[in-house]
Amino acid sequence: MNGFHMAYMRVDLRTGESARIPIEAKILERVLGGVGLGSWLLHREAPVGVDPFAPEAPLVFAFSPLVGTGVTTSAKFAVVGKSPLTGGLCDALASSHFAIEGKRLGIDALVFVGECDEPSEWVNGILRPTQNWGRTARETAAALSKEGRVAAIGIAGENRVRYATISAEGRHAGRGGLGAIMGAKRLKAIVVSGDHDTVAAHSEEVERQARRLRDRARGDATAKYSEIGTIGNLLAFDRMGALPTRNFQESHFEGAEALSAERWQSDRKHRRASCADCTIGCEHRYGYKAPGGESKDVRIEYESLFALGPLCGVADPDLVLAAAAKCDALGLDTISAGATLAFAMECGERGELSGGPVFGDDPSEWLSLIATREGLGDFLAEGSRLMAESIGGDALSRAPQVKGLELPGYEPRTLQTMALGLAVGTRGADHNRSGAYEADFSEEANRLHGDARSVALAIESEDRAAVLDALVLCKFVRGAFDDLYDESATLLNAVAGTDADGAEIETIARRIVDLRKAFNIREGWQPEDDTLPARFLTEPIPNGPAKGVTLPRERLDFMIRSYNLGRGWTEVGWLPKEALRRLEVELDLEGLRSSIERSFPEGIIPE
Amino acid sequence: MGRAKAWLPWFGKTMVEHVVGVLQSVVNEVVVVTSADLDLPVLGMDVRIVRDREAERGPLAGLREGFEAASADATFVTGTDAPFLGSAFVEEMFARGGACAPLSDGHVQVLCAVYGPGAAEKAQMLLAAGKSRPRDLLESQGYQAIAAEELVSAPSRAPWEGFNTPEAYLSAIRSVDAKATCVVELLGRAAKQAQKLGAESTREVPVGTLGDLLATWPKKLGLVDEGRVAKRYLASLGGRDLVRDLSIPVGPGERISMIDALAGG
Repeated sequence: MNGFHMAYMRVDLRTGESARIPIEAKILERVLGGVGLGSWLLHREAPVGVDPFAPEAPLVFAFSPLVGTGVTTSAKFAVVGKSPLTGGLCDALASSHFAIEGKRLGIDALVFVGECDEPSEWVNGILRPTQNWGRTARETAAALSKEGRVAAIGIAGENRVRYATISAEGRHAGRGGLGAIMGAKRLKAIVVSGDHDTVAAHSEEVERQARRLRDRARGDATAKYSEIGTIGNLLAFDRMGALPTRNFQESHFEGAEALSAERWQSDRKHRRASCADCTIGCEHRYGYKAPGGESKDVRIEYESLFALGPLCGVADPDLVLAAAAKCDALGLDTISAGATLAFAMECGERGELSGGPVFGDDPSEWLSLIATREGLGDFLAEGSRLMAESIGGDALSRAPQVKGLELPGYEPRTLQTMALGLAVGTRGADHNRSGAYEADFSEEANRLHGDARSVALAIESEDRAAVLDALVLCKFVRGAFDDLYDESATLLNAVAGTDADGAEIETIARRIVDLRKAFNIREGWQPEDDTLPARFLTEPIPNGPAKGVTLPRERLDFMIRSYNLGRGWTEVGWLPKEALRRLEVELDLEGLRSSIERSFPEGIIPE
Repeated sequence: MGRAKAWLPWFGKTMVEHVVGVLQSVVNEVVVVTSADLDLPVLGMDVRIVRDREAERGPLAGLREGFEAASADATFVTGTDAPFLGSAFVEEMFARGGACAPLSDGHVQVLCAVYGPGAAEKAQMLLAAGKSRPRDLLESQGYQAIAAEELVSAPSRAPWEGFNTPEAYLSAIRSVDAKATCVVELLGRAAKQAQKLGAESTREVPVGTLGDLLATWPKKLGLVDEGRVAKRYLASLGGRDLVRDLSIPVGPGERISMIDALAGG
């Protein structure tokens, strides 16, 4: 089969030894690459119940069949591990030349197990002590750039901050704390450079399909991202009462105009850039005054903007942009960092936490304390769920997280299809594995009153995301497909020489969703984990355009039950015995059922 | 209409808030009957909201739900779309004693009427007998039909005058304030495009249909295409409805935001 190297490299960091382990074609055909392959490898390599920080916990870097083909936006890699923030499966993607060079090692994935004796870096098969410990990821990459493409952690990762990122060329595999796993392994950086090209089965057809996708990915299909960028969401969300503000207490921010793309494009220095192998160019960099008065610029996305701005009650653009730059430098997930700060701010207002940040504070000072785990920063570095459990009382009802992962910038009460996506996501509260917000921002669903239609749309959205994340292609090209499954099959067949059709691609999507869920069940998932913090189910929106809007618990519960049944799971969300058996057989995951049986009283898995 | 009548703006309030406010100035108890899946604005703790569980059985079934929830003997019933309902009129109707309804142009105004004691039980009996018209209930209660011209407190526009079309709603607004306006703002790509063309991105314009409002911007902006809001945009009405239908009316004081259709991501 073309497009794959049919093997992964397993690196034991205790010894530095690597082994090339073959992967059967039937497995790759059934999970593809990216998050599909990464999830499969996690099932195989992670001992049941492993502590994410234990040496035995694997950290997977998975490539995909399209990497190296030049197809627009395909230069992405997936990092997969057991999240120290959620205790479940976490997969995070980043775009960079690291993906291209990593695959050129002649493998489809890198799996790191064990723990280095001392801070180290892995450079093209050689494990060696690092001089870069204590440096930022960017500094580390600069120091190692002559030896290949670099993925590295920042100081937050070194200190096992539970929402630390892995950075490559300024892009981050950001969510779920995978950088902390790398830090726990004392692995500062991974450097890759290879010479195995991706040879397509039908190169002319690949070229034709790539050109077609590139052409269609121009104009309206992606223009929002190239012209305005994701920060264009902020003012639109504010107007719809969907902009999370002051730790989700409100959904409308009085300082929204000051933080808007509409304002910044006319009064700030602004330039655009692109990821590797991308023709969209969604990266928008804006100038700001750094604390010392120096003029700098930083890439800013909506998620960073909302989390470090309105969510923390900060309306000063310079403070928000400086905080985003600080997160980049320290290697912190901006969403979790901002949301954890915002939670601490509300706890402070309620007298549940003393000496902490207050709404409107400059986030940057706190970000440094978090990354170094100094003072109260050590507590904040644990993320909002662990903080809330420690604070006690009803703090958990206000902690902005699902399964431990902090919520992205979508107010669930006014985006109720997305509310379902956030509640059931295997990664936790997630806007990348579920793009259910798309239905909310359309005429298709009633965003203020979720119903059966919302459920169907949420499932479709997850399935589509699973395909894009397994191929891997950027979500921003999603609008360029008429039929994602059929066109993905055409692209895959041209690269791999397979003869898949759209229906098979859809089956793969569903399989990947099942596979991730199975991992979480294996690791202790319970039906009550699929919900939203009680705040969203009990408090109406207090002001702004969506004043009075509610998301009653019964409505969310109905949607969750319908979702589970729609997926072919039991009403409360267990994978039935038949689905587990199918995964076990199709993916050669012997022992999957028996490992899951421990989750059930008397070992009985529902039919 | 393309929008829920209850949520249509009416000079600083929604229509349902306006009607509830009028009623609360006269009576102690207000019950709002609404469809099973329509959320309503916050109407206060003293307003009861009940759901029409059998909408398919016609309007009498909905009224029965309201009567069951109400504790008073006499109940004034009105629709949500009653912009000209006034407290003096409601008081006058109650003062007539017993069941009564205005008669206008030969029509009994059953949704601007007082229903007498035992209305819930009688409505149930009528429904069981296959009758679903509110008028059947009024007749069963021996109601008084009051000629419109006899009503001393009716304002220049009749209290039972509702609206079923965008034009009727806009006409009602203009009869109160001929200069009523709303605000339209362009966000995201639309704002950027307007800037390029030298057009402003926010305008206060007279109320009208969405199509009327968007027609005030240069065609070059491409806000409209093939008789609808162009695919690349969506109109957010008052932060609530997301629409592309140009015939939808926009009310006084409302803010319309033209957003990118690819919101999110």
